[in-house]
Amino acid sequence: MDKERKANLDRAFNPKVIAVIGDKKITDYMWLKSVKDAKAKVYSVQIDENDIPGIEAMGIDNRKSLADIPEQVDYAIIAVPRPVLPFILADCIKENVGAAAAFTSGFAETGEADGIELQERIIKMTSEANFNLVGPNCMCLYHGKVGIRNTADQWIGEGGNIGFMSNSGTHATNFVIRARSNGLYPAKSISMGNSISIDQGDWLEYLGDDPDIEVIGMYIEGTRDGRKFFETLRKVAQKKPVVIWKGGQTKEGARAAASHTGHLASDMALWDAMMRQTGAIRVDTQDELMDTMKALVMMKPFTGENMGIIAQTGGQSVLVSDAFGSEGLKVPALTEKTHERLRPIVTVVGGSYKNPLDVSGSLTSVERATEMLNGLHDDPNTDIIVMESSIGFIQRRLEKQGQGLDTLIAGLKAFQESSKKPFAVVATWNQNEGELADFRQKVADAGIAVFPTFQAGAGAIRKVRDYYRIQEKLKG
Amino acid sequence: MSSLNNILSIARKEGRTVLSEQESKIILKNESISITEPELATSAKEAIEISEKIGFPVVLKISSNDITHKSDVGGVRVGLKSKDEINENFTGMLKQVKEQAPEAVIQGITVQPMAPPNGVEVIVGVTRDEQFGPVVMFGLGGIAVEILQDVSFRIAPLTDLDAEEMIKEIKGFRMLTGYRAYEPVDLESLKLLILKVSKLAMETEDLMEMDLNPVFAYANGVIAADARIILIDN
Repeated sequence: MDKERKANLDRAFNPKVIAVIGDKKITDYMWLKSVKDAKAKVYSVQIDENDIPGIEAMGIDNRKSLADIPEQVDYAIIAVPRPVLPFILADCIKENVGAAAAFTSGFAETGEADGIELQERIIKMTSEANFNLVGPNCMCLYHGKVGIRNTADQWIGEGGNIGFMSNSGTHATNFVIRARSNGLYPAKSISMGNSISIDQGDWLEYLGDDPDIEVIGMYIEGTRDGRKFFETLRKVAQKKPVVIWKGGQTKEGARAAASHTGHLASDMALWDAMMRQTGAIRVDTQDELMDTMKALVMMKPFTGENMGIIAQTGGQSVLVSDAFGSEGLKVPALTEKTHERLRPIVTVVGGSYKNPLDVSGSLTSVERATEMLNGLHDDPNTDIIVMESSIGFIQRRLEKQGQGLDTLIAGLKAFQESSKKPFAVVATWNQNEGELADFRQKVADAGIAVFPTFQAGAGAIRKVRDYYRIQEKLKG
Repeated sequence: MSSLNNILSIARKEGRTVLSEQESKIILKNESISITEPELATSAKEAIEISEKIGFPVVLKISSNDITHKSDVGGVRVGLKSKDEINENFTGMLKQVKEQAPEAVIQGITVQPMAPPNGVEVIVGVTRDEQFGPVVMFGLGGIAVEILQDVSFRIAPLTDLDAEEMIKEIKGFRMLTGYRAYEPVDLESLKLLILKVSKLAMETEDLMEMDLNPVFAYANGVIAADARIILIDN
């Protein structure tokens, strides 16, 4: 992507003026609603008399054409029928719009001659004009800081540090929404759609250069230019972590991807090879994506493998150790010195002060929990500290001291801040699921990585540990 | 590079995309990859002369631009230790190949030394992916690649670390670190071979496929006993 296009794309992401072209009553004015809270002046372009009253009722200035807008438009959202798209694009090019994002679909992804032909026409127009078209067949752009969104359901606000790019509008949209349930703050989310004018390599480079973005994630079905993507990934993955969620891994999935966004699939073995070569992190589900992002963003960097674990009860202490063990991580014996330190506060009757700690009846207060965590932390044999939280069980203990889960979370947060070692909580589905979800949200909001199953936590920690190790190797 | 370009232009002129074993091996040798060098014989007498020059045992292989899978038509005879065996196998092979591939134009039969015994059989290959371009593959030969598909891939160009890791990544890696009668193989030479193949793949614009199969890996060095290069079909 050349400087001019990059500058224009910057304009679109930070618009002074937005135009929404072709938004309709029948879709509940979804695009106008998605940008109406943006720190920008919003215009509508609509000629249908049935749709205009609703637009004006929202207090939005409607014009009959893009040329009628008195100011220069930085970002245009296009939701017109597909035969009209070339005409609107011509207007956008003429009016020097920074970038246009087209919700309009029905192009090469249809596999039919007229769609393919129309797409070829659009490619010719945008490449001749060196114009930034997002999509088509996409859910446009999200930039939380300025309030432009894929849908009005998404969070907006300052402080986002994650960039996401997606061949799927659904995944671009959902990533932003679900990230907040995991304590993560997305900065930008790009729905790439058919990515005919700005391809995957361009987007990756753009997010790589974005100073707000510390971690990049993507949902990808294929690339327009695999070699460019590979070379870009090699550079970007050395600057910041890149987490790749590849859709269309099987023949069946690849066929679906072809009709979704019209991308050719390469063998998954090659994607896997590329990720190994570049030090990108592979995830295979949205769950893994969330958990891996958490471990990257919230846990202090680590290359070690030795877990120091607190489990609430004996049964959980076995399962949590199994989960970390199956990822090749270790739950080592603690030093004699630590045993002496923990022995007085962890009863051996129905419990254990050995790693993994089975604290059962001994975790009677937040102060006690902190002492145990510090014991594990100060032991030279541990690299990573994990606390298993069976909340029903803890809650009953803490209540006797007049303490609640909020006090516990504050204590965990204080421990994390003082800790030199990475820390995470695992609150597995084992009792009341609604309460667990609430508890996790609060832990996540406190900025602590919290995992919903032992396997999820072990998997994410192992992936991120491997990432830091590979980076060390790549940097020699 | 001139021998590479000569070979490619001859093949193009003749309308061929598949290079012969001899042509493929000249290209590899030019990149200082160790090979068993085939020489063409058009008679049993010539084959015997070559064998005496290079030393027994030898391998005979049919040489024909129309035959891609030589062993499928009886066109490979290995471990021949005497003049008599060469005489017998030379005529036997011609007869069998003519029966099984009657249309094929036969240039002759190549004679090459047998690779020394006790090597671990591996394969190194290149394919051109539509999206990613040249991709290098590594695996153990025989059953490991054909049935277990125990292979690793890297997108070219490979770094040192890529080559090292793709060797270690296969499940059968232990076969290379010393197993029963086999000594640990020379992993450094194997790595260098993979890097040379990667370089060649990047430099040969119209390369579609390259197979070094089998490659024998020894305690000291590696040798490609067969090779095939296929060009992009324009």
